[in-house]
Amino acid sequence: MKWTICGSSSLDDFLGFLAVGRQTYALEQLENGAYCLARADAWQPGLHTLGEYRQTEPLKALFFPAREFIGRWGELAGRDPMPERIVFGVKNCDLSSLAIFDHVFLDGVARDTYYAEARDKTILVSSDCSSQLEVCFCPAVGEQPYARQGFDINIAETPDGYVIESGSEKGKALLESAADYLEPAADELVAVLEQQRAKRYSELVEQSHAHGVKPGTDFRAAVEGAFDSGLWADFAEDCVECGACNFICCTCHCFLLADGQDANGQAARTKLWDACLFSGFAAVAGGGNARPLRAERLRNRFDKKFSYFPRVMERYACDGCGRCTEACIANIDIRDVLRRAVDVSDTLHAHSSDHRAD
Amino acid sequence: MYPTLYMPIPATIERIEDETPDIKTFTIRPVEPIAFAAGQFVELAVPGIGEAPFTPSSSPKITDFMEITIMRTGRVTDWLHGMKVGDEVGVRGPMGRAYPMEEFHGREILVVGGGCGVGPLRSLLLEVIQDLQAYPRVIVRYGAKTPDSIVFRDAQTHGWGQDGAMDVMLTVDEASDGWDGHVGLITEILEEDYLDCHAEDGVAVMCGPPVMMKFGTEKLLQRGYRPENIYLSMEKNMSCGIGQCGHCRMGVYYCCKDGPVFTYDEIQDDPRVWDD
Repeated sequence: MKWTICGSSSLDDFLGFLAVGRQTYALEQLENGAYCLARADAWQPGLHTLGEYRQTEPLKALFFPAREFIGRWGELAGRDPMPERIVFGVKNCDLSSLAIFDHVFLDGVARDTYYAEARDKTILVSSDCSSQLEVCFCPAVGEQPYARQGFDINIAETPDGYVIESGSEKGKALLESAADYLEPAADELVAVLEQQRAKRYSELVEQSHAHGVKPGTDFRAAVEGAFDSGLWADFAEDCVECGACNFICCTCHCFLLADGQDANGQAARTKLWDACLFSGFAAVAGGGNARPLRAERLRNRFDKKFSYFPRVMERYACDGCGRCTEACIANIDIRDVLRRAVDVSDTLHAHSSDHRAD
Repeated sequence: MYPTLYMPIPATIERIEDETPDIKTFTIRPVEPIAFAAGQFVELAVPGIGEAPFTPSSSPKITDFMEITIMRTGRVTDWLHGMKVGDEVGVRGPMGRAYPMEEFHGREILVVGGGCGVGPLRSLLLEVIQDLQAYPRVIVRYGAKTPDSIVFRDAQTHGWGQDGAMDVMLTVDEASDGWDGHVGLITEILEEDYLDCHAEDGVAVMCGPPVMMKFGTEKLLQRGYRPENIYLSMEKNMSCGIGQCGHCRMGVYYCCKDGPVFTYDEIQDDPRVWDD
């Protein structure tokens, strides 16, 4: 069932209703055009927006915070319960990335109870991308600029009105409670949306092509095929191993359990984002290091995203959000790395085929 | 007991035994019993300082306390070596995949250890000893740098080989006065002259430094052990211990949740398997 805002109401009224009683996160546009996730007690018309494209910081930060307090020694009480939350304007790249975190923190050998609570208490209101950033390339990795799943409620804006639908039981119940603001969306409106989505998708495909990353490319084969090539050392020449690509990435999930003292000198533990580009990431006591070279660490990042995750989850751990490209102070563009991996892998493969023919 | 698995439960150090100049065995008593299987590991924490993965060296039949044999080799182990009886530590676990004892029943077992790597193997042997008639033969081959650096020296030189219970042989890289045993690398005492074994259907279990594991595995393959019968206790920087933090990835596996015990056939295709 698809809905639209009814004639007697407005989007702001509807979103304001959804936010009642919930800690509210919504996009806010900065002077430079970028969006950030702003926290408030309610939906704030005029300030808050659903946004045209994704915000700068990854959505993961709401579920897997950059710095999360875990506990104090000898203190058995957990942290205070988390408030009910709602996030407005989530874009598909971020939404899709949560599947990686669910896999890691919920579906493995043990559940992260704090992550589970954050997921459970957060309503995700996604919205279609109505524009794109120069770094975006989601179609190349099998995504698209609108959500197909993973949302509680999705809102798509068209020139003829909004198309609103639920994607979960929670979202369905919430829409039912908001019936006063809604009416069924006409088939014509839905048709307009379909056309608009197809157009947006093709624009992103075009942009991906322009950067040499085509939808349907087997990046797993490319990265695995280029594993022993000089490609990684070439990019490592520029990389300064700052870890920005890891931290800003919407799927990077690695962390460090850091022990120290709290403000009162009591022993406490914190969970911090970690980065596989850091030289100590794979170091063991006694001086051993599985990846002592920067090139090996840079390759590891791609190996994890384009080989490990396809092998264990049948998907890339990359949604084409382009944040790593934006964040890299050495101007390493993930699309260039992938395109070169395809080229190198194709070349190597062609050579080995030649040998076989001989 | 804690609301999150990332927090260890408190444990008290009850006993500290010097094994070698840089290896000690700590007996810790957690506030609640911890049942583990031989080969699984725990994260041992120094409050406010840090934690590191170790495989217990005591019998898995005992759950009230646990012995952990630790070489002083880094920041956390420096702290541990400076601790005293009565001090508090923390423990999380057990974690990971153990030795599949049911697979070992009825088969000849070759246990190959190097240096401090004999810790997990002692845990295995203590379980095997309780049920020795279930195994046609148990062979132990152990290498240390010097006679002074042999871990569990009494058990290795007397206890385990007593009355022919097990076929035990030791070697050291460098002898010192008073050593009348073998001198040479561990791979030497895996040669036919020193090891009479049923490689084709026997099980080999190995734990030691990466370089020893690499050459030891090559030797076992030469001797005819099948890749699926060679069990290796791998060592990476396991941190969370539950396959989440990303540190100990080895190709498609995480050492913490898919290991630390792997058969060689599971990991032989990874070109980086022997990296530190």
